[in-house]
Amino acid sequence: MEESSELPLDAKSEFVDFQWKLGLAASCDGCRSLKYRYVAVLAVMLKVADHSGQVKTKSFEMTVPQFQNFDRQFKEIAAVIETM
Amino acid sequence: MAAGELEGGKPLNGLLNALAQDTFHGHPGITEQLLQSQLYPEVPPEEFRPFLAKMRGILKSIASADMDFNQLEAFLTAQTKKQGGITSDQAASHKTKIRESLMNQTLSWRVDGNSQLTETKHSPQIHTPVAIRELELGKYGQESEFLRLEFDEVKVNQILKTLSEVEESISTLISQPN
Repeated sequence: MEESSELPLDAKSEFVDFQWKLGLAASCDGCRSLKYRYVAVLAVMLKVADHSGQVKTKSFEMTVPQFQNFDRQFKEIAAVIETM
Repeated sequence: MAAGELEGGKPLNGLLNALAQDTFHGHPGITEQLLQSQLYPEVPPEEFRPFLAKMRGILKSIASADMDFNQLEAFLTAQTKKQGGITSDQAASHKTKIRESLMNQTLSWRVDGNSQLTETKHSPQIHTPVAIRELELGKYGQESEFLRLEFDEVKVNQILKTLSEVEESISTLISQPN
């Protein structure tokens, strides 16, 4: 699943599907505190189809603030698209 | 030096750190020779090589299996029981590091009125508004991958529905007492 970071300008993938999993990860920042700190992490498995129709899965993670940003932007997209 | 003496302690931690850099963060310049001379100078290459391969394998298993904590616990217990395995503390901290190194940022989006589908002589051009969204997926130490995605209105709504399910899950998770 090697991808070049230099895509031709019109290379677009079509969104197919995405699956998600919400979990907790333990993190310890230099172990400043004796208590464990937990971070909510959203794991996403995004399915996209490239111009040849081949479906690939991209896996990545988001923190909750990143997800909220993503969510807000998507709602904006939806609002605009509905007006067209 | 017997293979059993390779396990445990500072050199092993250093090795796992270095491997995590190389495997998951794409750090150039981490070679077998460097690792061996820095961390295990007294170990002959023919012993070090299989040990290194085993450690790489363990790291990859942890990262790719996407285990929950119970599974991770079980996997690590099995590993530590084997000779030359790693301690569960070391593995837990490495798992966190590996996951943290997958980073996502959303960049920008625009909504286009686009003509989609190939025209044929008989069918009219179909204009469907699509949203084009760019996602930047990055790993520390590596170049980001830019993913340009196209969504039509149907898909946008489908995604919104899923996103609100995620929102609900997050609220439930956060509101649960510790």
